[in-house]
Amino acid sequence: MNQRVRSETAANAQRWARRLCARVDNILAAHPSADRDNVRHTLILLEQPPLERLQRSLIRGRAFAIFRK
Amino acid sequence: MAVPLPFSENELRLLGALLDHKVRFMIVGLSAAALQGAPVVTQDVDLWFEHLGDEAMSRALREVGAAYVPPSIDNPPMLAGAGAELFDLVIRMDGLGTFAEELEHSVEIPLGGYRVKVLALGRILASKMAANRPKDKLAIPVLRDALAATQAAAQRRPNT
Repeated sequence: MNQRVRSETAANAQRWARRLCARVDNILAAHPSADRDNVRHTLILLEQPPLERLQRSLIRGRAFAIFRK
Repeated sequence: MAVPLPFSENELRLLGALLDHKVRFMIVGLSAAALQGAPVVTQDVDLWFEHLGDEAMSRALREVGAAYVPPSIDNPPMLAGAGAELFDLVIRMDGLGTFAEELEHSVEIPLGGYRVKVLALGRILASKMAANRPKDKLAIPVLRDALAATQAAAQRRPNT
């Protein structure tokens, strides 16, 4: 990846993060008791297709079960 | 790189056979919540059937080499055989209406070429609050926050 593409990618990532934070802030303004991380993770997951959301949930659930044994 | 499906080929075949045979069921519990964006963890996929063990369900399961195992004194009802390992059977949903009532409020989610009914996030929250077991209590705040976030996201995209 050349320097220009890297800069554009980083700039896009920063724009995405700013938009995400603004959306989280808006939701927290309407739901002050909500947990910021829960809201942020939900908004991130909503950008993924449903099957990928389930895939992540199952991987983490199974890893947690192994860890508990 | 392609994202791997959470379902194996056998598991997808099992779901497909149930749908092909018009068996009425939906995905419930935390896997249903995860499909709708809630950041929760789970180890299995809970299925709620309108008529557990009826002829259509048995025929569909036979077709893919699986079977319905009725409850015994020590064990709950379960599915066994090819593609059944991931799925758990739910025999009652605390705090909810009948299967038919809840099906009306379910959402349809595309899963590997099929469209599967999934209990709506708000109804999953209601069932966890009614069940109120220690593990449900852990999930309730996450589900509540996820519901707020998904509703806000839906308002931003009214046509999706």
